Amino acid sequence: MPSLRSALSLDRLGSVIAVLIGVALFAAPFVIYRANRIAAGDGRMLVDALPLPGVLAVMAAALGVALCAALVRAPLIRLAAASIGLCIIVPAVGWSAGFVTPDGNTFARVSPSLGFWLLALSFALLAADALTRLNLGPWARLAAIAIAAAAMALLLASGAWDDLSLLKEYASRQDTFWREARQHLWLAFGSMAAACLVGLPLGILAHRMRRLRTPVLQGLSIVQTIPSIALFGILIAPLGYLAAHVPLLAAMGVRGIGAAPAFIALLLYSLLPVVANTVTGLNQVPAAVTDAARGMGLSARQRLWQVELPLALPVILAGIRIVLVQNLGLATVAALIGGGGFGTFVFQGIGQTAIDLVLLGAIPTVALSFAAAVILDAIIDLTRRGSAA
Amino acid sequence: MIEIEHLTKRYDDTIVVDDVSLRVDEGTIAVVVGTSGAGKSTLLRMINRLVEPSAGRVLIDGEDTMTIPEDELRHRIGYVIQGYGLFPHRNVAENIATVPRLLGWDKRRIAARVEELLDLFQLDPADFARKFPHELSGGQQQRVGVARALAARPAVLLMDEPFGALDPVIRSKAQDDLIAIQRRLGTTIVLVTHDMNEAFQLGDRIAVMDRARLLQYATPAELLTRPAEDFVEQLVGTAERPFRLLSLMRVQQAVEQGDAEGEPVLVTDSLRDALSRLIWTGRDTLPVADASGARVGRVSVKGIMAHGRAVA
Repeated sequence: MPSLRSALSLDRLGSVIAVLIGVALFAAPFVIYRANRIAAGDGRMLVDALPLPGVLAVMAAALGVALCAALVRAPLIRLAAASIGLCIIVPAVGWSAGFVTPDGNTFARVSPSLGFWLLALSFALLAADALTRLNLGPWARLAAIAIAAAAMALLLASGAWDDLSLLKEYASRQDTFWREARQHLWLAFGSMAAACLVGLPLGILAHRMRRLRTPVLQGLSIVQTIPSIALFGILIAPLGYLAAHVPLLAAMGVRGIGAAPAFIALLLYSLLPVVANTVTGLNQVPAAVTDAARGMGLSARQRLWQVELPLALPVILAGIRIVLVQNLGLATVAALIGGGGFGTFVFQGIGQTAIDLVLLGAIPTVALSFAAAVILDAIIDLTRRGSAA
Repeated sequence: MIEIEHLTKRYDDTIVVDDVSLRVDEGTIAVVVGTSGAGKSTLLRMINRLVEPSAGRVLIDGEDTMTIPEDELRHRIGYVIQGYGLFPHRNVAENIATVPRLLGWDKRRIAARVEELLDLFQLDPADFARKFPHELSGGQQQRVGVARALAARPAVLLMDEPFGALDPVIRSKAQDDLIAIQRRLGTTIVLVTHDMNEAFQLGDRIAVMDRARLLQYATPAELLTRPAEDFVEQLVGTAERPFRLLSLMRVQQAVEQGDAEGEPVLVTDSLRDALSRLIWTGRDTLPVADASGARVGRVSVKGIMAHGRAVA
């Protein structure tokens, strides 16, 4: 009976997710308990990590999501199941931290462990898959990311996670965290803005002058092949020399190490995507359109602003998206040469073998890159006005 | 009126347009035909200075185009190309408003003009003004392209293969519409095509070009009866000649006294259509009626044939 068979058939991705959930519940520790922030950890299975009602709630939620993933096909139901699952396990891990920590012990640390991460990963996968299947428009995607951000903010503000090691690391570094966050954003967005200021005119020039195009693009490609740490290193010598010999630059804070070489390195990495996409975007403007524009008497400037740039915009924005996501990640490395940013926590954490400190730097970086990608994708879709949907 | 005087275009050693002179009278359609690479498009593009002439000059209503700033000149000349080059990021109304906006017309005047043009081209403004080019059919895109070129009421319209992208049925309708609109507005048109049928259907005069030179510039009938060179004769198509000639003449010119059996042809039909009806119905004669339906005489196969000969 084929109809019955298809009704009961297993969803492929859903089955994998269901297996992951099974492993997470019964074969992996839910949290790790450490006597202090750098001591070796000791895993706690779910049944030992929460009081009984909590254990039951997490079990029920996880099994429900697993069943949904394997058997239900409607994306809206899958999305709802995944969201409810996340809304239960995420506060639960904070509750677990309070439950596992002995009363009055301020040295003990509790962190989410493999079991929690697997559950979170499988729920997130299911939600992402459902969102893809729903094929949301740009505004709906922006709304979804706003809701996710608001939920995160609510969770952190509520104090539900305060007993987790990650937030204890945050609590003892509150001031530096926001300073490094500002620095990180300044490095990533500032270098992106500078790359647009330099790269857009350079791209337009390279499009207009064929002879310039190949050398410019090849030069920028070569820059792109230099590993980031090497590029930071290469910049230290000339910038140090400049700072020592040009008092004005030194007064502006330019030094061989610190933010200046990091900013310049990020700017250099950003140029290739911006310039290459500007050239590509302008190239794909149909010849008939520019010919008609000329024939109707639009001046060179009017053609550029009214016809060529608007038509090239989606491609140029795609370049800027690459730059932003790349810079948000690369800015982490800037900490190695004293440039600040979230990388500071990552490298401190590695130095102290304090994994939660590493996460304090890594999680915001990943979240920012992800959000930037989603937001810019939506904006690119919104600018494709008039082209076939 | 457009006067082209000794217009020449050279690229290094290649001559693309070689000393072409011709005059297009006000309110007429001149069609430039020739094989590809004959220099037709270059000739056309020298009129609005998209290509700068190497020698010679173009006068529009007596004014040398070189004395007018390029962009200002192009605001005054409509331009339609194959594929139309509609702006994909602007809707139909915005596309049509391009030149009026460059000229700084006020909003109300632009809106009124857009509506007027959409009506003229049988595109319902309520339906089409907000559509984007990719939402239109080929024929609708073509009409918007011509409407856009006519937006600022140019006295001169240049068209480069404007029907090239249309299928035959829509093309012939679009050609008829163009003639109707041209007669109504009195626009002077220079149209480039490689399609001889199109040239004969549209042209008040036809310019035949080959390898950069203008071989002959004459009325369609002259081109048929007195071709200047073998190449013109060949291009016109020797087998097609009598039929082309007949299609240029109206039944009016061949009406005889008397009556005949059958469904009447109209005085305004072409002789070619009348002959075609005679052959198809197997008759020697058919009655002729005028626009009001009154019988005014008859046409005969013999009478029509007399008009399709080389020397009248």
